Amino acid sequence: MRRMVTGLAVITAMASGAAVLQLKLAVQDKTDNVRKIVQDIQVDERAIRLLEAELAYQTSPNRLQEQSNRFLALMAPKASQVLADPSSIPERPAGARVDSSIDLTVALEPEVKKPTKKRLYKRKGAQL
Amino acid sequence: MNAAYVNVSTPHADRNISGIRLAHNRLKVAVFVFLLAFLVTAARTVELGVRSGAVEQSLALDIVVEPVQYGRADILDRNGEILATSLPSTLLQADRFKVQDPVVAARQLVEILPHLSYEKIHSQLVGKKGYVELARQLTPNQKWAINALGNPAFEFLEDEERIYPHGRLASHVLGFVDVDGKGRRGIEGFLDYRLSQTDQTQDAIRLSLDIRVQYALTYELRAAMNAFQAKGAAGLVMDVNTGEVLAMVSLPDFDPAEIKSTVEGARFNRAAQGVYELGSTFKTFTLANALDQGTIDLTDSFDATKPLRVGRFSIRDDHPKNRILTVPEIYTYSSNIGSAQIALEIGKERQQEFLGSLGLLERPSIELTAVGVPQLPPTWGKAATMTVAYGHGIAVSPLQLSTGIAAMVNGGRLVPATLIHNSEGWQEGKRVIKPSTSRKIRQLMRMVVTKGTGRYANAVGYRVGGKTGTANISVVGGYDRKAKISSFVGVFPMDDPQYVVFALLDQPKGTKKTFGFSGGGWVAAPVVKSVIARTAPLLGVAPKKEDASLYETVSLMIEE
Repeated sequence: MRRMVTGLAVITAMASGAAVLQLKLAVQDKTDNVRKIVQDIQVDERAIRLLEAELAYQTSPNRLQEQSNRFLALMAPKASQVLADPSSIPERPAGARVDSSIDLTVALEPEVKKPTKKRLYKRKGAQL
Repeated sequence: MNAAYVNVSTPHADRNISGIRLAHNRLKVAVFVFLLAFLVTAARTVELGVRSGAVEQSLALDIVVEPVQYGRADILDRNGEILATSLPSTLLQADRFKVQDPVVAARQLVEILPHLSYEKIHSQLVGKKGYVELARQLTPNQKWAINALGNPAFEFLEDEERIYPHGRLASHVLGFVDVDGKGRRGIEGFLDYRLSQTDQTQDAIRLSLDIRVQYALTYELRAAMNAFQAKGAAGLVMDVNTGEVLAMVSLPDFDPAEIKSTVEGARFNRAAQGVYELGSTFKTFTLANALDQGTIDLTDSFDATKPLRVGRFSIRDDHPKNRILTVPEIYTYSSNIGSAQIALEIGKERQQEFLGSLGLLERPSIELTAVGVPQLPPTWGKAATMTVAYGHGIAVSPLQLSTGIAAMVNGGRLVPATLIHNSEGWQEGKRVIKPSTSRKIRQLMRMVVTKGTGRYANAVGYRVGGKTGTANISVVGGYDRKAKISSFVGVFPMDDPQYVVFALLDQPKGTKKTFGFSGGGWVAAPVVKSVIARTAPLLGVAPKKEDASLYETVSLMIEE
């Protein structure tokens, strides 16, 4: 009986020791993980800061106008193009039904135009 | 073992027996204590395993994510766009005592960093100092390449770089940071302490500037400056209700990142630091003063048939009508003769008092390090009273003029100009004229654009009002007849004023397109028009058809 108790105690002690060790290792693992995440957060924060500065640079009005002149033909909006009140947009006339069988995406596809000399010239004078 | 003790029954042995018993008892106590401790531990373990929630959370290892610290706070525009930020960079230095072959080291370094000069590096490496700074702001690639050299003399230091993503835009407002990271000029200089406070570097400063408006104004001014071969240009866009400056431009400008290569005079801020005799725009103040005091009425008229003589000067009109002019006509056709007569009726004291109340006689306060002090007539006699009425003999900065004009149109409240974003959107300010006078001034300003000298400022749909200003530059002993400061101060929309737009060109030359004219109405008014047309949609001012009845009475008093 006594031997059994002793044996049981030894086994329990060893088992709990092993469990505690494993627990410790697991905790260490988690801590390392958390530390790494903290580090990653800081690296990401630095990267975000850099990217934000980059974004500000890329979307600087100066650059946007340059790009607009090169690739679009946008001009300053005229007063007549600005709608002050959305309610001034007329309703769809009664009876004008939308034919759902027509594939609208085809119509919406922009017509591809080759840049002609005239158009290029126009672009050069364009403003944002 | 026990039997041996029983056989020996001496007092000695008795003592042994009692000792053993004591040991037994002590052991029992120890066992009991350990058992208890184990039980408590076991119970606690079970408890921890079974229970879940807040308790164990607080027991967890406390790891705080330290925010990445920078030496300087960001500067943002009113919409949160980054205007200035700090980014980590690398600094290269050399320990001179570890340099084995300065010639080779210098040559290798110049190969990687071509912008450095070989001579300079070499002289640094053979010099007397122990540590020498060789280069700043290395890119990761350059850093890698230098590392790959394997030269133990080269060391890297963590450094910080101030970045201005918009380059030259708003450089006069922002200022710059010198090599030691100290703010100079502009906001960087004025708020240097706040920007570099260690516990506040996380909180960015939000300016009142709108970078899009700033760009539009810069672009248009630069175009006009080039077209009219002007020496410089200045411009402002200001919210009349809050005094917030949405754009402040001075040309030529500089790149805050390349401060060493600045053109001579480019750091001078013409919009806040420069003071100019701004000419006829001052008539707005003369008329507002007279109308507010009741000295004159809109229906009064003055004789402008011939030049007015004061001592050895004579006051002439730039756009002479040679007839009797009504008050609205004096303003619309910018009559110096009429304004001078009105000023005489107001009198010197009241003129000074009024201009003083608008802050035009003292240094204005704004968040910039360099602000111009107005130049006043040395002796403010009768002649000065008359010339000040049309903006000669008194020099103020565009900033002061715009602040004054804002007070004239916003109902009569003088709101000090600011470069810091104001989230409240309304400032009561100090009352300088009656709301009814302000209403009259608005009508007069609109008339200048529809019927008078400022027609080229009429951005269709945005009900622009304004006043032209053209002044000859004063030189020793009088005025230079050829060199002009041409300006235009515009306000829109005139039925509910929101923004003041000011444009100034320094010594513009007339072109074929302007028939050789270089006055404010010819060169500066179109700038204001373009700026309004471009920025009004951004600022949420909708174009609409004008209510002509607002200007009916004044309009009838102007004979074309």
